[in-house]
Order: sequence, then C-alpha cells, then structure tokens
Amino acid sequence: MGMPVVLDVRDADVGGDVLDRVFDWLRFVDATFSTYKDDSEISRINRGELELGDADETVREVLDRCEELRQETGGYFDVRAPLPGLVDPSGLVKGWAVDRAGAILDEAGARNYAVNAGGDMVLRGGALPDACWRVGIQHPLIRDRVAKVVEANHLAVATSGAYERGEHVVDPHTAAPPAGVLSVTITGPELATADAYATAAFAMGEAGPNWTARLPSGYAAMTILADERVLSTPAFPAP
Amino acid sequence: MRKAITIALTVTALAVPSVNAWASATAQKTIPKKKVVVATKSFTGTPGSADRWGNVQVTIVVKKTTTTVVKTKKVTVLRRITNVAVPVFPNHTDRSIFINQQALPYLVQETLQAQSTGINMVSGATYTSQGFVQSLQSAILSAKAW
Repeated sequence: MGMPVVLDVRDADVGGDVLDRVFDWLRFVDATFSTYKDDSEISRINRGELELGDADETVREVLDRCEELRQETGGYFDVRAPLPGLVDPSGLVKGWAVDRAGAILDEAGARNYAVNAGGDMVLRGGALPDACWRVGIQHPLIRDRVAKVVEANHLAVATSGAYERGEHVVDPHTAAPPAGVLSVTITGPELATADAYATAAFAMGEAGPNWTARLPSGYAAMTILADERVLSTPAFPAP
Repeated sequence: MRKAITIALTVTALAVPSVNAWASATAQKTIPKKKVVVATKSFTGTPGSADRWGNVQVTIVVKKTTTTVVKTKKVTVLRRITNVAVPVFPNHTDRSIFINQQALPYLVQETLQAQSTGINMVSGATYTSQGFVQSLQSAILSAKAW
C-alpha cells in the first residue's frame, strides 16, 4: 500500500494491545498482498508459482470481490487491467484491510475511532470530545483547502482524484486518464466497496455522475467536474 | 506497497494503560496516599510538507496525569492525546464560480467551494495524508518532552 495508516481511537478504555492487533493485521495484509514484495502471495501467483486454489483464503476472498466489482462497474474497476495477465488487487485491498481493521476494533469494544489509510477512511462514533467526525474532502485545485466537509458517526469515505502523486486512475477500456472530472468521493457502509466505486466513477469521466446516481442503497457520491461544477447524489451527507 | 505500513500512530500510543493500571492498583493496596496532578496542553506540529502546494499542520491536545506516591515519591506519568485537529485551513479564500446551469434531476448541483474549517481528517489526497502524519509525529514528540 505504501501509505501511512492513521488509527485514531478516542475510547479511553481501549488498550494498546488492541491497537497492536490492528497493526499486526495490516502488516499481514501487506506481507500477503504487496506487489512490491517478491515473497507475497500475489507476487507468487503472478509468477505462476502459486495456484489460486492453494493461496490464503483472504487472497481468494479479495480476488472474488474484485471480480464482482468489475462486473458491477461495467469493467471500470478492473484489477487486471493495468498489467495484462497479472493481478494487482491493491485497489481493493486497502479499503478491505481498513474495513477488517474496523471489525477488530468493534470486537474489542471501541466505539469512537477513525482508521485512515492514505485519505480513505472508516469512521465510527465521534472524535471525542466532539460528537462526530468532521472530514474535509480535498479541494482538487487548491491543495490546502477542502471543497466540502462531511460530518459522520458511522461511515466510510473514499476519494479518487487526479492528483500529482498517488494512484493514477485510467479508464481500463482506453488506458487513458479520464477527462472532465477532478475527483469523485463515495460514502457508504463499506470502505472497500466505496473505494472501488470511486475508482470506477472517476475512470468513467463525465459519465461518472450518471452512474453514481444509481448506486446501491447506503452509498452516495460527490463528483467534482473539471468545470468546477459539483454534482452530488441526494443522499450525500451534508454537515 | 513498497514501504509497507510505515507509520503506526495512535491516540493511545503515548499511554501505557495496562502498566499504569497495575501501578495504581498496587499503590492503592500498599500506600494509599497519592498526589494526582492533571494538566492539559496543546501541541502544534511543525508543518508537514504537502509538496509544492503548501503545508499541513496538526494540533493535538494532551492530558498529562502525574501521580506521585507520597511515601516512596514514585512518580507515574500518563500522557494521553484527547484531541487531534487539523488547523490546515486558516484563511478563507472563496474562489467558487457560479455556473448557472440546470441540475440533473437526480443529482444536486453545487459550485466548487474552498472551505476553511476545523476538521479531523482529509479524504482524497495522499500528499495531505503524508503531511498530516509528519506534523502529527512532530506534535507527539513535543508532547513526549513535556
């Protein structure tokens, strides 16, 4: 993933051992899924050294979900597209790992926390002593400003955009960067899904907003177009 | 995933709850007289770089509980971050452009705004996150020296 993960737990009664468990989990995910590590299962699958059937159960779970999302997004979220013949599920793994990190915290009794992986995050409860979390959506043109503020108690937030650094989203059908759109933010119950939808909708370019208008229940979208129009689905959270 | 997961920062990272719980339990059994001083202080990190675009700055509020056992003079210090804020957006520059165009019926149309407001996190920019972590780290280091 190559990105910082910030774990912000506001519950005074959650011990350090719980946080260690979360980071152990994230290290396991990195060791298993990293395409930069030669001995990760994904690297071994891509070299033909490991059969999918022999891979860790989590690898199959992630790749199955990637395939479901590829179909659901009309091929706009496609983990096989960047490198033909190879798989790179990094686009789903980050959000999926954060969802699971949240589940570890839930089981341990945490009620007020945020897990933020490179700007995509899961929020629960509030940023105590504040009653909720206030998340700024990066302004796509002014780097030290936010374009929107979302307040939430129980939400995942993912944004895909044309930034200088970080992931470069291309339209899998043309291998070219999408035109006409600056960023897409998706909110919803699950970060992995929200992140995949954001990637797909961004890759669709100007057609993205229409597609986001038909997202499944619980998910909402905000698209910032190149002409500085902002199109939100009615369910997109307002502060 | 080249750099793996590089930063492990947590709000409770400064505290050692289990050790302190044990220490206070022991203290209560044997020597009941303790002096507890609670103080709160804010620490603002150095601005974290967000490329040529500018900086991100983080402020943390730390509650420091100093417990002194009267007889042995044993001092236990517990520091806990009680709030994290991102005062990154100090100036309001509204450069939104009004575009008079009918919104699609199923989409709400707004104009792009530049907001400056107290927020906990930023969604959508790797560079901002990196700057956030840099600044948070330096704020934590300042708090540890307190």
